[in-house]
Amino acid sequence: MASRGSGGGGDGNSPPPSVSSPDVRPSSPLPATNSSPPQSGRRGGGRRRRGSASPYPSSPSLGGFETPPHPGRRTPSGGAAAAAARQQRQNWTGGRFPPTPSTPMSTDDVPLSSEAGDEDTPETDGGGGGGAGADATPVFVWGTNISVQDVNAAILRFLRHFRDPRDAGRVDPVMDEGKYMRAIHRILELEGGESLDVNAHDVFDHDPDLYGKMVRYPLEVLAIFDIVLMDLVARIEPLFEKHIQTRIYNLKSSVCLRNLNPSDIEKMVSIKGMIIRCSSVIPELKEAVFRCLVCGFYSEPVMVDRGRVTEPHICQKEQCKATNSMTLVHNRCRFADKQIIKLQETPDEIPEGGTPHTVSVLMHDKLVDAGKPGDRVEITGIYRAMSIRVGPTQRTVKSIFKKTDKSRLHVEDSMETDNPNANKTTEDDFLRDKVEKLKELSKLPDIYDRLTRSLAPNIWELDDVKRGLLCQLFGGNALRLPSGASFRGDINILLVGDPGTSKSQLLQYMHKLSPRGIYTSGRGSSAVGLTAYVTKDPETGETVLESGALVLSDKGVCCIDEFDKMSDNARSMLHEVMEQQTVSIAKAGIIASLNARTSVLACANPTESRYNPRLSVIDNIHLPPTLLSRFDLIYLILDKADEQTDRRLAKHIVSLHFENPNIEELEVLDLPTLVAYISYARKHIQPQLSDEAAEELTRGYVEMRKRGNSPGSRKKVITATARQIESLIRLSEALARMRFSEVVEVRDVVEAFRLLEVAMQQSATDHATGTIDMDLIMTGISASERQRRDNLVAATRNLVMEKMQLGGPSVRMIELLEEIRKQSSMEVHLHDLRGALGTLMTEGAVVIHGDSVKRV
Amino acid sequence: MVGPQYDLVGNPLGAVRSTFERAAAESGGHEPVAAFRGKDWGATEVFRSFLFELGGLDKVPVLDESNLGLIKPNTLVRFRGMVQDMLGNEFYVGAFKDGSTWRTNKFSDSSPFSMPHPCDSHLWERHLFHCVPVPGQNSWTRESSPGPDLRRMASCLTSEQREKRKRGADNDAMDVSESGSGETSSSSKKTKDDGVQISNSSVEMSMNEEHVLEMNGGDHHIPGSPFSCLVKVYDMPESQVKLNDVSEFIGVYTFDPELAAPSDNSDDIMFDLMEDVTAQLPPSKVPRLHCLVWRNLSAHDFLPRPPAVEPSAILLRGIRQSLLSHLTLVLGKDELAAQCLLLHLLSRLRNKVDVVTVGRLSLNFTGFNRESVSIFGNQLNNLFQRLLPYSQVIPLSIEYLNTATLQPRKDNQSGRLVTGVLQLPQGTHLTFDETLLQSGSLTSKGVENTMLLKNLMESQKVEYDFEFYKLEMATDVQLLTLSEGKSNILPSDLIVPFRPSSVPAVNASSEELESCRWYLATVRSLPQSTETDTYQMIQDEMVNAMRDDRSLGCSELSRWLTMAQIMAASFGEKSLSMEHWQMVKELERLRKERLQ
Repeated sequence: MASRGSGGGGDGNSPPPSVSSPDVRPSSPLPATNSSPPQSGRRGGGRRRRGSASPYPSSPSLGGFETPPHPGRRTPSGGAAAAAARQQRQNWTGGRFPPTPSTPMSTDDVPLSSEAGDEDTPETDGGGGGGAGADATPVFVWGTNISVQDVNAAILRFLRHFRDPRDAGRVDPVMDEGKYMRAIHRILELEGGESLDVNAHDVFDHDPDLYGKMVRYPLEVLAIFDIVLMDLVARIEPLFEKHIQTRIYNLKSSVCLRNLNPSDIEKMVSIKGMIIRCSSVIPELKEAVFRCLVCGFYSEPVMVDRGRVTEPHICQKEQCKATNSMTLVHNRCRFADKQIIKLQETPDEIPEGGTPHTVSVLMHDKLVDAGKPGDRVEITGIYRAMSIRVGPTQRTVKSIFKKTDKSRLHVEDSMETDNPNANKTTEDDFLRDKVEKLKELSKLPDIYDRLTRSLAPNIWELDDVKRGLLCQLFGGNALRLPSGASFRGDINILLVGDPGTSKSQLLQYMHKLSPRGIYTSGRGSSAVGLTAYVTKDPETGETVLESGALVLSDKGVCCIDEFDKMSDNARSMLHEVMEQQTVSIAKAGIIASLNARTSVLACANPTESRYNPRLSVIDNIHLPPTLLSRFDLIYLILDKADEQTDRRLAKHIVSLHFENPNIEELEVLDLPTLVAYISYARKHIQPQLSDEAAEELTRGYVEMRKRGNSPGSRKKVITATARQIESLIRLSEALARMRFSEVVEVRDVVEAFRLLEVAMQQSATDHATGTIDMDLIMTGISASERQRRDNLVAATRNLVMEKMQLGGPSVRMIELLEEIRKQSSMEVHLHDLRGALGTLMTEGAVVIHGDSVKRV
Repeated sequence: MVGPQYDLVGNPLGAVRSTFERAAAESGGHEPVAAFRGKDWGATEVFRSFLFELGGLDKVPVLDESNLGLIKPNTLVRFRGMVQDMLGNEFYVGAFKDGSTWRTNKFSDSSPFSMPHPCDSHLWERHLFHCVPVPGQNSWTRESSPGPDLRRMASCLTSEQREKRKRGADNDAMDVSESGSGETSSSSKKTKDDGVQISNSSVEMSMNEEHVLEMNGGDHHIPGSPFSCLVKVYDMPESQVKLNDVSEFIGVYTFDPELAAPSDNSDDIMFDLMEDVTAQLPPSKVPRLHCLVWRNLSAHDFLPRPPAVEPSAILLRGIRQSLLSHLTLVLGKDELAAQCLLLHLLSRLRNKVDVVTVGRLSLNFTGFNRESVSIFGNQLNNLFQRLLPYSQVIPLSIEYLNTATLQPRKDNQSGRLVTGVLQLPQGTHLTFDETLLQSGSLTSKGVENTMLLKNLMESQKVEYDFEFYKLEMATDVQLLTLSEGKSNILPSDLIVPFRPSSVPAVNASSEELESCRWYLATVRSLPQSTETDTYQMIQDEMVNAMRDDRSLGCSELSRWLTMAQIMAASFGEKSLSMEHWQMVKELERLRKERLQ
C-alpha cells in the first residue's frame, strides 16, 4: 500500500514503536476524524487533504478537535453509514500493522498519481503523524523536523492575525479582524464559497518559516491548513456544513515549465502557461460499493487506489463467503469531478530553437472548467510524477518510468476567467516586478530618446519619423462626449518616400510592435478586405459578417504598404475609418457598424517613383486631399544626396556586416520590453492636459495661424487648421504617456509642435515660396500655385481678347502658347495653358475643339 | 584508460553498470549515488575514448531503415538525423538500491534486476528527441559513414529475428535487380549488396522524395512514414540541442517487447490527455536510442576522409578554379551566372539584427522556360545533389502552393510537431522552379504558403504554427529560384539573367567532386575578420558609389558587401580586401548590363 502522506503512511515505514502513538490515542483523534466525514460524504468536497489530515493523532493540543460532537451530529444520512464503517475500519486497520488506514480513512480522493510518486520516492513523501516516541514529544512530519503542532499553531496564528498592510490605513479599530478572518466570515455569510484563497505572499510576510514549510511539504502543511480552517469555521458557525478548502495562490516565485525537474516533485510550484487542451469532465470514482449477488450483502466502500478498484473476491459476510460474487453498485459509489488539461509554455519562455514543453494538469472539483484552451494561466499546484501506463502489464515493476506530470491540488488562477478579482490580482502579480522595472525606465531623463533609439534600431537615421511612429504607438486619449460626439485618440501617419528608404521595414517593425498590428499591402487589398464583408456560410447558408484588416486591428495599428497602389474604391473606405473610427456595412440583410479604432500607418511611393521636388505633395503622392488631411503626420522620407548621410549609411551597413556590436550600441530597450512598456502605457496612463499646456497649445496654434498672415507674404496662407490642433493634442498626450505621466506638460506640447512642424515642413512646404501652406494638404494646390494659375488665366483671357475675333477662325493651342510665352515672364507649359483655357471655357469665353481654340 | 573490460559495442550496458557500481562504491557515504544526478560517473568517458580515440566508431553499426530489426537490442548503434521534434523530458528511476547495492537504469528502458518494491530510489530525468533522417539529404553523405559490413551484422542476427530479416531481404533483391553500377568495389558479395543497398536506397529515397513532393506536397517525413528514431539524451542542458539540428547520436538501441505492446486501453478517455506522446511511436517502428555520446554534424562531418591539410589559400584557389569551370560548363558557358552561383553556394547566414539578415545571398536566374529548365535545371540539381549535403527542389506551381504543407504545425491533439516542407536543417539548399507557375487563383492556404516562402526569403525565418500562436524559427537556407522573369513571389537578393551559349556538359570526376565538397564546406566555415583600414575604405567606396548612382539603396550596398566578403572567402582569404570589392563591382556591372 502506498505510503500516502498521512500518519499511517509514515507508520509503514517507521519502526514499530511509532505505531504505538496512533494506537494509544486513537480514541481522541478519531472523533476528530469524524468531524470531517460529513464533508467527505459530500461529493468532491475537496477532502483529499483529509488524508494527510490524520497527522493529528498527534495534535490534541488543537482546540478544534474538542468539538467533534457537533460535526458528528451533522453527518448526512448517506454518509452516516460510511462514517461508521470508516471508524470501524480505522480500528481494524489500526490494529493491524500495515499502513493502509490512512488511505482509506480519508485520502479517498487522493489522485492516483500521488501514490505512484510516493512509492518510489519515499523520502519525499511525508507521512504525517509517524511521530516517534513518547506521547509528550511533538509529532513530526515524517522524515523532516517539522513539528505538526508548530505548523498548526503557525497557521492558526496566520489566519487569525494576518492583517493586510495595505489595509492598515483604513481598518477601523472596532473591526479589528485579520484579512482572512474577514474572508472566512464572508464565506460563511454567502454560504457559497468552497474555498478560501490564500495569498502566499501574505503567508510569507507573516511567517516566512511557514511559507517555506508549505512549499516544501505541501501535502502535509495544506492538510493541516484545512483542518485549522475547518476548525475555525466550526467555532464561528457550528452549523456550517460545507467544506472549505484552502487554496494557495501567488507564490513568491514561479517556475518556468521547462525547468521543472525531479527535485520539484512533491513540492508546491507555480507555473505559467497557456492551456492548449481540456478534457471533458470526468467523473472519477472515489469510493466503490459492492454487493454480493448471493446474499445481497453490501461491502463497505472500497477506496480507489491508484485508479484501480480492488474488487473483493469473497463476500465478507461470515455466513456467505461466496467467491466472485461481488458486483459494483453504481449509485452507491461516490464520484468527483476531474478534468485534465494540458498546459504549454508561452512563446516568450521558449528559448531559441526550442519547442514548447507541456505539462498535464489535473483539475479537481471547482477548478474544473476554470480555463479554456487559449487562456494564459498561472497555476499553483503540487508537482507530481506519474508512472506511464505501459500496456496491460503496467503497474508491475515495469512502471519505473516517470513522466512529468502535474497533479494540481490547489489554486488555479486563470488570468482570463470571468472572476474579476482573481483576474486583477494575478495580472498585478504577473506584472508587478515588470511594472516596477518599466516605471524605473520611465523615470530616466532620456527615456524619450531611448525609446526612439529602440524603435527599429537597425534602421538608421529617420529619428523624427521614428518619434512620430512612437507617438502613434502610444496614442492619445480617445474622448467621447456625453453628446455622443467622439474624438479619436489614434494617430494616423503617412510615410511618403523614395524607394529604398526602408519604409517597408519601418512598417514591418511597427506591425511587430503594435498590440494588434495588421499588415497589408495596398495592391493586394480590396475595400472589403480592409473593412468587413458579408459572406454566405457554405454549410448553413447564413450570411456571416467577416472582419477585414481594419476591424481586426481595432485598438491596434493597421499598416498599409503601397498605399498609392490601392484602388480608389478601397481608399475611399478609409475615410470613415480614419475619422469616425467605425466601419459601416449595409448589405445582404446585415446592417452593422463595427468599431475600427485603429491607427493607420500607410506608406506610399511618389507617383513618378522618385519624389519630384517641383511638384506638390499631392501631385507626388496622387492621393485625394480629403484622405490626406486625415493623417496627423505626413513624413516625406527623401533620399537626399548628402555625403554626410551617405557616410552614415555606409557605416551602418559595414557595422552590420562586421559584427561590431559595440558600434552605436547605445542603451536600447529590447523588443519585449518595448512592447511591455507600450502596452502598459496604453492601458494604464491616461494623461490630461494641464492648464499651462493648454495655454501653450492655444498660443502655439494662434501663432501658426498668424504665420500665414505674416507681413511680407501678400497672400493669405492657411498654416493650421482645426484638424491640426486635434493632432497636436493627441501628440502631446502620446508624449506624456511615454513618460508615464498623467499630466500633459508644456514640454510635451512644445515637442508636439516640433514634430508637427517637422512633418509639415517636409510635406506641406510650398516649394515655390518656402512657407508652410496647409492649403497644399487641404486642397492639393498651394496658395502660390493658385495665384500663378489666376495670373495665367488673366493673361490668357487678355490674349484671347486681343488676338482673336469673336466668331473668327480658330487658333491652334501651340500658337497661343508661344504668344503667351512671349508676353509673360512666367514659364508656361502646355498643360498649364490647357487648364487656363478650360477655365475660360467654363466662363463661356472660348470653345475648344481638340487642339484648336475658338472665341465665342 | 586500459582496454575496456566489456564489449562496448555488443554489451554497452554492461560497461555502464560496471562503471556505475565502481563509482558508487568509491563515492561511499550515506547517499552514494545522489551525486550522480544529472552527471556522468565516467561511463560516457569510457565510450568517448573507445569511439574517438581507439577508433571504435567504425565498428558501430549505423541504424537506419534498412537494418531496423536486424540489430540486436541493447547494442551500441549510431544514428544520424535531424531533431524533428522535442518531446520534453521524462523522469525515470535512475538509481535504486537492490539490497545493499545500488543499481542504475540509466541508458536503458528497464532494469535487468527486478526492483524490490519499496526501495530507495532516485528519480532522474532525460530528454526526448524525435529524430528523422535529414530531409533532402543527398546520397553521397551516407557513403562517408558506412557501418561495419553485413557479416558483422549477420552475426548480430539472432534466430528469432530471422523472419524480420525477410523484409530486408526483399529490399536487397529489389536493389540488386535495379542496380547496374555498384559503387563499391568490394569482392565480397555480401558487402557489395550492402554497399549497393545503402547507396541505392538513398538514391531511391531522394527520388521518392521528389516524387512525393510533386504528388502531395511533400509531407515525406511526417511522423509515421518512413523512419524515425526516438533519442533519449542524458545529462545535457537542453539548450544544447536545437530543433532542426543535424546530429549523430551514439547510444544503446533498446527494444523491449513488453514495453512495445500496444496499449489496449485507448478507450480510457481519462488517460487520453495524460498519455505520453511516445505512445504514438511504437517501438517496433520507431527505435529507441539511449544516447551515450552525441555530436552536432556539420557539412565537414559528411566528408569521407577528414582532410588533414590546413586550408591553404593556394589549395583553395585551385579548387575554386576547377569548381568555377565546372559550374560554367553546367550553366552552358555562362560565366557570369557561374560566378554568381558560386557566391550563392558559399553564402551563409552570418548575423541577424532584428529583421535584417546579413550574409544570405539568394539567387534568381531569370530567362528560363520549361524546356531550358528541364535541361539546365536538372543538371543543376544533379550537381547540387552531388555537392551539397542537403538539397531539395520545389516545383512552384499553383497547385503545389495550394496543396502543399509548407508550415510545420503543432498538433496539440497528439502533442507532436507535424512537420512541413520548410522544416529544414541549417544549410539546406532549396531550388524553386517557378517556370511551372501559371496564372490561377491561390486559395487561402496558397496565400499562406506564399507568405511563408516570402518570409523565408526576406528574413530567413519560418513561422511554426502552434495553434494559439506562431513561433518564428530561424533558418539558414540557400534559396535559388529559376524563373522566366524576375520573381515577385520570391524576391531574391541577386537577379541574374541567364544566357547560356551551349548545352550543359558534365565531366566532373569523383575526386573532383570530393574536393569541391570539401571546398564548399571549408569556405563556408572560414572565419572572417576585417581590419579597420578596409573598414574605412569600404565606407568610402560606398559613399562614392552612392554619389554616382542615387538609386543605390541600403539593400544593394549591403548585398555588395556580402558578395565581397564571400568573394574573399572563396579565395581562401580571411579578410576582405579592395581587390575583392572591385571584383564584385565588376560582377555587378556585368550583371546590370544584362538587366538592361
